[in-house]
Amino acid sequence: MQRRAFLHSLAAVGALGCLPAARALAASPMANSGEGAVSVDQLPKLEGDLTLYLGRGEGGLYENVLEAIKKRNPKLNLQIRRGVTAALANTIVAEAKAGVRRADVFWAVDSGAIGLVADAGLARSLPSDLIAQLKPGFRYPQWAPVTGRIRTVPYNTERLTAEQIPDSIMALADSNLSIGWAPAYAAFQSFVTAMRLLEGDKATGEWLRAVNQRAKNYAGELGVVMGVERGEVDVGLANHYYTLRLKSGKPDANVDLAFTRNDAGCLVNAGGILALSEGDLPINFIRYLLSREVQSYLASEAYEIPLVSGVKPPEGLVPLSSISPPKVDLTQLADLRPTLNLMRSVGVL
Amino acid sequence: MTLGSLLRWPVSYPLALIVALMALVPVGVLFGLASDDVQLFDAHNLKVLTNTLLLMVFTVLGAILIGVPLALLTAYAQMPGRRLWLILLAAPLAIPSYIGAFTLYAAFGRGGEIENLLGLPVPAMDGLMGATIVMILYSYPFVMLTTRASLLSLDASLVNAARTLGMSLGASLWRVVLPRVVTGIAAGGLLVALYTLSDFGTPAIMRLDTFTRVIFVEYNAFGLSQAAMLSLQLLVIVGLVLFLESRVRGSRERPGRHLTLWPGRGQQFAIVLSVVPILVLAIALPLAVFGIWLVREGSEGFEFSYAWNSAHASFLAAIFAVILAIPVAHAAIAGRAGRLMERMTYFGFGVPGIVMGTALVYVGLQLPFLYQTLGLLVLAYVLRFLPLAVGSVRSTAEGLDPSLVKAARVLGASPREAFQRVTLPLTVRGMVAGAALVFLEAMRELPATLMLGPTGFETLATYLWRVYEAGYFGRAAIPGLLLVLMSALGLALMLSGERRAEIDVTETPQS
Repeated sequence: MQRRAFLHSLAAVGALGCLPAARALAASPMANSGEGAVSVDQLPKLEGDLTLYLGRGEGGLYENVLEAIKKRNPKLNLQIRRGVTAALANTIVAEAKAGVRRADVFWAVDSGAIGLVADAGLARSLPSDLIAQLKPGFRYPQWAPVTGRIRTVPYNTERLTAEQIPDSIMALADSNLSIGWAPAYAAFQSFVTAMRLLEGDKATGEWLRAVNQRAKNYAGELGVVMGVERGEVDVGLANHYYTLRLKSGKPDANVDLAFTRNDAGCLVNAGGILALSEGDLPINFIRYLLSREVQSYLASEAYEIPLVSGVKPPEGLVPLSSISPPKVDLTQLADLRPTLNLMRSVGVL
Repeated sequence: MTLGSLLRWPVSYPLALIVALMALVPVGVLFGLASDDVQLFDAHNLKVLTNTLLLMVFTVLGAILIGVPLALLTAYAQMPGRRLWLILLAAPLAIPSYIGAFTLYAAFGRGGEIENLLGLPVPAMDGLMGATIVMILYSYPFVMLTTRASLLSLDASLVNAARTLGMSLGASLWRVVLPRVVTGIAAGGLLVALYTLSDFGTPAIMRLDTFTRVIFVEYNAFGLSQAAMLSLQLLVIVGLVLFLESRVRGSRERPGRHLTLWPGRGQQFAIVLSVVPILVLAIALPLAVFGIWLVREGSEGFEFSYAWNSAHASFLAAIFAVILAIPVAHAAIAGRAGRLMERMTYFGFGVPGIVMGTALVYVGLQLPFLYQTLGLLVLAYVLRFLPLAVGSVRSTAEGLDPSLVKAARVLGASPREAFQRVTLPLTVRGMVAGAALVFLEAMRELPATLMLGPTGFETLATYLWRVYEAGYFGRAAIPGLLLVLMSALGLALMLSGERRAEIDVTETPQS
């Protein structure tokens, strides 16, 4: 995966989004001369049996998207197998080895899992008109990124100012801040994997151990952000959109986002989808996820970063040009087992 | 063996043999899988083994420490409402331990329900400590009931003799009564050990790396071979416990009047005071937590189809288990070889659900027409819970007076007609009871259902697991309460049915 191009484009999206004029331009469907997002009204109806393996992700909001697609296409018989993203990726590979294929489409919250399946040669090539809907830099022959997300450090604005938060994730372990985290959560584990790749196992283990002394466990990262807002902890570790979602429901919430610099603390990751079986149905299903309606919904309701041209980025996100994500090969994030072993050995999981 | 002797085999033998061999398939599969190059044993493995054994030993000790005094109380002490106390004290069996673990985990610790509600900071419940507490709370009734049954079979005159010779009550209980019920205690303790070894939900929720949890992690990484190796290691321990259990034999005494104790008011108060915390933790707290969640979130996200799916799969399992149990039960009555076949089917009951799941996922991958089908899931249930059906069918079939069948034959009925008109109607009760037991056990089964369920097939247990994993705890209320209700029905059935002899909650001592 061309990591640098990906980041540049993502930064460009963010930068574009913060200019009112550019935002207006982007929102106009005419601006992209036919290459931009397609409305669901223009898409073919989905009919027949389709099995989706859905890597456990953002719960309700993805389910809402799937419900809406089902409602719109009453003849679609959509079966969903939910599971841990990495587990489903491994399942797909093992099924292929045994000559069994059950999944038609694989939607994962993490590009590492997508990479694992694509590397095994199981992903179908996508038609060029579909790829062309994606922003330049996000065009891959065999999978479509659906949305992007950034690791952040949400902090309680009553207790802290942005300056008091270390701009290095490693330094957070040496600070005296109390920290909220969700170690069982897939996005957090990807973040730890990135830290392992960047800093090594030893430093990561020490970091986990040190933070664990002052950490409060939450089941999910929305819980982390809510804990930060209530002042249960000073700072948290969470994907960007939880904070934006909380603030949209509660504009005066005592929480804001801080970003570390050039380390795993501001890792940029993308969720993506790929087709495993032949036929038009899987491809057309992917078209629905890249439609203007779904992308706008995920941006405005889920606060994820849309990756199709002509869709507004979520409100309230700082210009991405102002942050400096680390250089990590996202496909390596699928290598979860050493991460889980490490987290267990230091008693975090 | 000559052809002649083969022909003289009872008709039930060939069918029973097939069923018995089927029960061994999972183990064969595991051996095949584990022979791939996998690590036999490493440092982490040692830790897993240690955790598993520690959890088992602590749970057994704890269950004995709680279960034996409660058995003495419920067997001998005359107190107001003693039947009610007995039922209440046996009630934790009606709560699947993963539900207990889930609710206790959510209730304790920082930000837990107790702190939210009362503002009291309470320590977290997790790790070895948490898992041990949960397992003790939900398994002590095994010890209590088996010990109580032994106590009720004792003659009180030895105790009376000891008392007249000047021994105190406590000392006579310790030196005269308990040594004679050691086998009862041991039987209960071994049941607890088996239950602890095969439990998947509690260590997973309490984040303790035991065999079951690590097998699930390996399965999630699709390291099936490694999962199979771990499964075999777990089966070795299970086999040892089963072997010990088969060595435990009750000593028979000439029955007599049993001991009766009359605690005073103060003593009664002290007894109630020491029993109540157990019941609060094991029963009241989980129900209260579900109640809070129900009020807070209502039926959000719950679909009726989950309950229907649970019932559907469990119903199929119950029907097939009984159909397969009939030849096995009849073979067991017919002769020694048949009894051996029956023993072989009991093997499945000792195979933890997670191990059965691992084996059958692999079977499915080899036989794609079975993979991710309801059929494979039902097969897993049948293999695991077949012994329950066999036991029920056998106990009614044994009670059948063979002269009735002979009379029917003498009066001109063909063997088929005699079976249809005499044997079947007389054993149908046992079949229904067996089917009901399998049905209710399958309803609460978690790990094999998680691994083998068809795509989109959500049951009460898997839905509960999913909301736990996703952190939407509140949504667990309805499936949790439904599962408790189902298990309670199963327990009522088990205690009133064929197990009466070993696990006796009703009044009369066996005589």
